[in-house]
Amino acid sequence: MSDKPDLKHDRRQWLKGSAAVLGSSLLPASAIASKTESKIAAENSKDKAAETKPSGRFLTPREHSLVAEMAETIIPADSKSGGAKAANVVDYIEEQLRERASTARQADFKEGLRLVDLMSQHYCGKSFIAASSEERIAVFTVISTNIEMTDLPEVRFFKDLRQMTINGYYSSKIGIHDDLEYKGNVALMEYVGCDHPPTKST
Amino acid sequence: MAVPEADLRKHYDAIVIGSGAAGGMAAHVLTSHGMKVLMLEAGKKLPIDKELRSMEWPYDNPYRGKLPPDRHALSYNEYDIRKPPYGPGFEKYKHLHSYIGNNDYVKNIVVDERENPYTGTNYAWVRARCLGGKTNIWGRLALRFSDYDFKAKSHDGFGENWPITYSDLAPYYDKVDLYLGITGVKENLEELPDSIFQRPTKLNCAEVTLQQGLKKMGRTLTQYRAGVTSDGLKHNKYRSRCFGRGACDRHGGCDIHAAFDSPTGLIYPAMDTGNLTVRTNAVAREITVDPNTGKASGVHFVDSQTMQDYTVRAKVVIVAASTLESARLLLLSKSRQYPNGIGNSSEHVGHNFCEHVMSGGIVGQAKELIGKPSTNDDGRPGGFYVPRFRNLKDKQSNYIRGYGFEGDAGQGMLPRIHDASGFGAGFKDEVRKNKGSYIEMGAFGEVLARYENYVDLDPVVKDKWGIPALRFHFQFGDNERRMVKDMNETAKEMFEASGFKILEVSDRIRTEGGSIHELGTVRMGNDPKTSVLNQFEQSHDVKNLFVVDGSAFVNSSCQNPTWTIMALCWRSCDYLADEFAKGNL
Repeated sequence: MSDKPDLKHDRRQWLKGSAAVLGSSLLPASAIASKTESKIAAENSKDKAAETKPSGRFLTPREHSLVAEMAETIIPADSKSGGAKAANVVDYIEEQLRERASTARQADFKEGLRLVDLMSQHYCGKSFIAASSEERIAVFTVISTNIEMTDLPEVRFFKDLRQMTINGYYSSKIGIHDDLEYKGNVALMEYVGCDHPPTKST
Repeated sequence: MAVPEADLRKHYDAIVIGSGAAGGMAAHVLTSHGMKVLMLEAGKKLPIDKELRSMEWPYDNPYRGKLPPDRHALSYNEYDIRKPPYGPGFEKYKHLHSYIGNNDYVKNIVVDERENPYTGTNYAWVRARCLGGKTNIWGRLALRFSDYDFKAKSHDGFGENWPITYSDLAPYYDKVDLYLGITGVKENLEELPDSIFQRPTKLNCAEVTLQQGLKKMGRTLTQYRAGVTSDGLKHNKYRSRCFGRGACDRHGGCDIHAAFDSPTGLIYPAMDTGNLTVRTNAVAREITVDPNTGKASGVHFVDSQTMQDYTVRAKVVIVAASTLESARLLLLSKSRQYPNGIGNSSEHVGHNFCEHVMSGGIVGQAKELIGKPSTNDDGRPGGFYVPRFRNLKDKQSNYIRGYGFEGDAGQGMLPRIHDASGFGAGFKDEVRKNKGSYIEMGAFGEVLARYENYVDLDPVVKDKWGIPALRFHFQFGDNERRMVKDMNETAKEMFEASGFKILEVSDRIRTEGGSIHELGTVRMGNDPKTSVLNQFEQSHDVKNLFVVDGSAFVNSSCQNPTWTIMALCWRSCDYLADEFAKGNL
């Protein structure tokens, strides 16, 4: 535990420093070059070998699970309503990326996804999928508090993922009905309006 | 309703070119006087019952209501930095649309920009080629003009007065109100005359708060005056009354036609008289001239699908193709008699082009509404309108004319999110608490009608049908820029006076064309040297030629134009039918 950075106190400091050194990543070079990465790469290739990518899909099964967990971290289930997983936001995101994203954005997304998973390895010692929800929140908090660092692919990834999660979730059945309780699309005999005293007789 | 095959060998009493607010109204008025009318529409007749999907949920749409991936709608930034016809970068899209075509609900209503190119200065030109045109998806704000507009020159010395006064037009506004239905509340304002209103929509809490804030400043906030029938229309079997369903904010048309659209409001009833024939897919390329009399003899059009050419004849030609298309058609109609285009002896056709300038808008939050339960705010045709308050009794030091605000508050189908980086349980809860607490508004201001702002024909570029494209020479001037600066200041001042937390004020001026209120270009006037039409929208040069859409406007006012287009058109067509009966045309 002691070799992990203290997220609460110096993550921002650490991040700024390392980002300045690296210029391109929220991770220190050591983390990128470490065994961690090759371990993930090995896992990835194992996943790829184990599950062939369904045709027409943009995300590998492992990436698909990762994005599903990350989207859930952005909009989690709570006592009021289901979260991004229940609303199957990951399939919406995958469709957006496959059908609408430029090659550059697709590449950015995949690279950002890989780097965020590496961040999880670095901060928590495990993949984002294996991390606890507190650990996941800690990783995203690092990015969210440095949202202006858009030169970094992981920040661009987070912004893209977040926006797509919002779009997908709030246009879903769960988002519209369960969570926000939108009242439109029903015939009303009379709009209720406001019970303030009117300034003009209607 | 099925459109029967048009008989093109017949010699019609009148041809109406265009089927939007103006064309529909011309057809209604002329057929009710017993005239035999042929209407030409450049676009197709849409299966409107399938096309307008007012009640569709995003999750039931394959793209959640967004455009399919092979289509693209231009963004303001793209208009601002790319030259039409939109250059490289869009190759991967099969279809390109104007900015308004950015959802799945309007994609078949707006044109494909590549088929309809234009050149010149940046302009976000929104065109809808289909029966009913832009009325299928209009914003529904239905306002009257006043003598502050018709007699604006008398007030500040700029431009020209209209050849009519409010009292000339008032009876026709009344007719439009009663025939089509309008909701609103009487305010007795000289600058925004009242209509004959049906039951108004109600304001919600944040809107009432703003109304009270404005009252302290001596300004008015009134319910959105919507061209929507809230009580129903006994004389029209095609339209239902409004049931406040939503999602009206989507602006994808009204499938029960409580909101006015030209097909159900005007064209179908006109067809029921037996006097109206409609020919769709008819792209007018020229108004033909009788070389002996110099009068208009008919219209030369090309079928948009078969590319075949046709000529149809009529005793009167009425142009209602939309402001810029009408000017284009007159300029295209060159002949020995009319070398500059028909009706253009003044050389004013295409000039005095004006519209509305729009501010980027303001968004605020009413703290007292945070955490309140959901209400159906989206089931209204609109929220509120703040009428013009500048340069009425007062005189602004650095600009003339005025602006009004349109806005609304409350919960829409999709939430507003003002937090740029939040996530997690707290973020989700914030979105939920804030959902009904936002209020927004944006201003529409008068753009001065200046001779230097004009359109002409591009010497090289042609549309899909080989017809010369329009070339724009149009830019906002200092008066508009100073006015927008004031809009942003007064917007802030009004939100502050109402106790709203201001979240966003954009000082960006929307690209020219963004208001979709292009006007002028074939203006009316008493002097044939400086105007194209007389007070009845009749050509000074060619007495059986009328131009009855927004192009006839002398200035743009700051009020939305549709209701005035229709009132003017009704008045002109009453005159036309009378002259026709007397054999004067």
